[in-house]
Amino acid sequence: MGKMKKNKISYLLLDYGLLLALLLIIVVVSFISENFFSTNNMLNILRQVSVTGVMALGVSIVIIAGHMDLSIGSILSLSGVVVMTMVNDYSMDGVGVLMALGAGAAVGLINGVIIAAITGKKARTGESFIITYGMQTAIAAFTLLVTNGVYINGKGGGFHSQIGKGMWPIIIFVGMAIVFYLLMNKTPFGRTIYFIGNNEPAARMSGVNVKFYTVAIFVIAGFCAGLAGVILSSRVNAASSTAGNGMELDAIAAVVVGGTALTGGKGGIGRTVLGVVVLGVLQNALHILNVTTYPQMIIRGSIIVLAVLFDVLAGKIKEKGGKV
Amino acid sequence: MCEFALEMLGITKEFPGVKALNNVTLRVKKGTIHAIVGENGAGKSTLMKVLNGVYQAESGEILIAGKKVSITDINKAQNLGISLIFQETNMIPQLSVTENFFLGHVKCKKGGVVDWQGMQEAVKKVFDELGYTINPRCLVSEISAAEKQMVEIARAISKNADIIVMDEPTSSLTSDETERLLDIVRKLKTQGKTIIYISHKLEEIFAISDMISVQRDGEIIDTKPASEMTTEEVIEKMVGRSVQTEYPVRNTTPGEVILKVESVSRKKLVQDVSLELHKGEVLGLAGLVGAGRTEFAETIFGAAKMTEGTILIHGKAVKIRNTKAATRASIGMLTEDRKETGLALKASIKHNIVISNLKGICSAGFWTNSKKENDAAKKYIGQLKIQTPSVNQTAVNLSGGNQQKVIIAKWLFSDVDILIMDEPTRGIDVGAKYEIYCLINELVAQGKSIILISSELPELIGMSDRVIIMHEGRQKGELSKAEMTPEAIMRLAVS
Repeated sequence: MGKMKKNKISYLLLDYGLLLALLLIIVVVSFISENFFSTNNMLNILRQVSVTGVMALGVSIVIIAGHMDLSIGSILSLSGVVVMTMVNDYSMDGVGVLMALGAGAAVGLINGVIIAAITGKKARTGESFIITYGMQTAIAAFTLLVTNGVYINGKGGGFHSQIGKGMWPIIIFVGMAIVFYLLMNKTPFGRTIYFIGNNEPAARMSGVNVKFYTVAIFVIAGFCAGLAGVILSSRVNAASSTAGNGMELDAIAAVVVGGTALTGGKGGIGRTVLGVVVLGVLQNALHILNVTTYPQMIIRGSIIVLAVLFDVLAGKIKEKGGKV
Repeated sequence: MCEFALEMLGITKEFPGVKALNNVTLRVKKGTIHAIVGENGAGKSTLMKVLNGVYQAESGEILIAGKKVSITDINKAQNLGISLIFQETNMIPQLSVTENFFLGHVKCKKGGVVDWQGMQEAVKKVFDELGYTINPRCLVSEISAAEKQMVEIARAISKNADIIVMDEPTSSLTSDETERLLDIVRKLKTQGKTIIYISHKLEEIFAISDMISVQRDGEIIDTKPASEMTTEEVIEKMVGRSVQTEYPVRNTTPGEVILKVESVSRKKLVQDVSLELHKGEVLGLAGLVGAGRTEFAETIFGAAKMTEGTILIHGKAVKIRNTKAATRASIGMLTEDRKETGLALKASIKHNIVISNLKGICSAGFWTNSKKENDAAKKYIGQLKIQTPSVNQTAVNLSGGNQQKVIIAKWLFSDVDILIMDEPTRGIDVGAKYEIYCLINELVAQGKSIILISSELPELIGMSDRVIIMHEGRQKGELSKAEMTPEAIMRLAVS
C-alpha cells in the first residue's frame, strides 16, 4: 500500500512538474521583486502572452493530431497587413477583422487540402512539416510583395484599435482557451483528433473521415494565427510583413513545453495554456530581474530543451513502472 | 561437454502487481528444437526477454553450455550466441536485404567506402548454405513475410548464434510459407543449432519439435518429449481446463440477402468480384496471401477506391466513397493488423470502443458524456469478457485476444449489420480463439452478417456457411458447407 501511494505521488510530480516549476518561479521572484506578484504585472503577462497564446491554441490541435503547422507565423503577418490596410485605406474595421480572420482560415484551408490529399494508408512521415514550411515561405514573400516591406502604421481610433488594448487580449485568449478546451475534451471532434494523432490508419479503418479532420485542423490553426495577427496589429497599432517571423516556433515551443508530444495523440489545451504562461512568466521574471536579452534567450532556450527532456524521461519512467 | 545448451534455473521476474515469471526452470538440450507453448500472457515472451537481456530477473540463474552467465543486455546475449527472432521483424522496408543484413555493422573497404560487393557476396553465401533463393538486392518491402523471417534467421546465423529463439515466426505466414520455414528450422537443427520455438499453432509444434514445454500463468507446467504428448493434452495444460470442440456449433440459418456486390474491381488488385451476403450468414473468403481478399474487403469498406462495380445494401445501391460512408451503410471491418490499423494502442480501451460511434456517447446533441462512455465500455467489457482492470487501461497492455475483442466491441457499439473480419484470430491463443468463434456465432444469432477472411483453412471450414475462393484478384468459385474440404478449397485457390 505504501509503495502504491509513493508511486502515485511521483506520478503526480511527473505529470505536473511544470506547474510546480511555475509556482517556484513565482515564489522566488516574488521575494526578490515586490512588483512581480502584483495584479498589474500578472495582467501584463497575460496580455503579453495572448498573441502567442492564441496561436499556440490553434497549433496544439494540429500537433495533437500528429501534424505540424509552420505557416502560422507568416499567416500572422498577413492577417495584420490585411486588417491594417482595410482600416487605414477603407476605414472598414469590422470587415477588415473578418477578412484577416478569413485570410488566415483560407491559408489553413489550402494547407489542409494539400496535406489531406497526400494522407494515405501509411503512417505519416512529416509531410505537413515541409508543406507548411513551403506555405510559410510563400505567404511571407506574398506579404512582402504586397507591402513592399514597409511598416503600416495605424491611425488609431475605431473598433480594431481596441482589440489589443486593456482586458480584450486576455478575454480573447482565455475565451478561446475555454472554447478549445471544451472542443478537445467534450466533443466527438476532439475525441477524433486524439484518435487520429494516436493512430491515423486505425482512425480511418474505424470509419473516421480523416481527410475532413485534416482540413479542419489546419483551418482552425490558420484562423487562430489570423486572430493573433489582429490582436498584435491592434496592440502595437502597426502591421508589417515580418511581424510574425519566428512566432510559429514560439507557439510550438509553448505547446511542447506544456507537455504535448510532437508525435501526436498526447497532450491537451490545458497543457498548452500552462506552457504559454510558464514561458511568459519566465520572460517577465527575467525582465524584472534585469537580465539582458541574450542571456534571457539562452535561459529560454535551455528551459525548452529541459522541458522536452523531462517529458520524455517522465514518459519512460511511467512506462517502466506501469507496464505489466 | 554439457548436455544442455541452455539452462534457465528458478527464474523469477516481477512487474508491479504481477508475477510474470514464477520460479521458472527451463532446460534445453543441445541440437534440439524445443517448443514453448502457452496462452498470451503466460510469460513466454517475458522469459525470452530475460534470456535476451531486455529484462533482468529478480532471482534465478542462466547457464549456457553448463557455464553460468550474466546477461545484462542484448549485445551480451548476442556474444553468448543467443539470437532472438521476433514475431514482428525489425527490418527496415525501404532498405535492401543486404543493407538490413548488415544493419549496424556495415562492411567497409579501406578508406571508409562501403563494400557493397563484399556484403552481397557474404549474404549470398549464407543464403546458399540455407538454400534460399532470395535476391540480396531486393528491397525488404518487396519480399514476403516468410522471406523476412528467413532473412532474420540467416542474420542470426551469420552472427554465430548457437541458440536461436523464434517467437511466433509463422503468425503471418500462409501454409506454404510456413512449410518452407519449418524446413529451414529443421535444417538448422541438422547443423547443430539449438532452437527455442514459440508458437500458438500446435500442428506446427508437433510437426517440428523434439521437446515441448507448456507455460501457464508464469510457470512451466510441464516439459515432455513431443512424441509423448497429444494435442488435447497440450491444450488442456495451456488453458488449465479441458477444451471441447474446436469450433462451436451454430444453429441458425441465413435469411434474406443483405449485401449484394456486383462485379467490383479495384484496378488490377480486385477484378470483377460478385457476391451475395445473407442476413445471419458467415461467408468465408479463402485464398492464398495476395489473392486479393483483403484488397476486396477494403474496397467494400471504402478504404480503397472501387474502379468498377456496384454495391447494394438491402437491395438499394449505395455509394461508398470512404470508410465513414461504409459505417453509415452499416458495414464495419476488423483489419488483419490490429496493431497498425485496428487500435490506437496508446489510447484507452474505452476510447477505442467508442471511436466509431461517438454520437452514441453524446448527450444534448454534441457534448460527449463520460458516464455514457464508461457505461458503453463496461457493457462490452462484460459482454465480450474482455480481461482488463478498468475501462481506462491502455490498449497496448492487453493480450492479443482481448485487443481483438475491443475491436469487435467497437463495431458492436456502432451496431453495424455487416462485419468484415480479416484474420480475426491471427496471433491469438487457443482459448481466446474459441471465444472469438463463439462471439461470431452470437453476432450471427443477433442477425448480423459476417464476411470472414482467414488463412487457416480449418477455421474457414469450421465457421463459414459458404466459402468463396479467390485467386489473383478474381473469384474462382464458391463452395457450400457440404462441399467444403481443405482439398477442394486449395484446388481452387492455387489454380
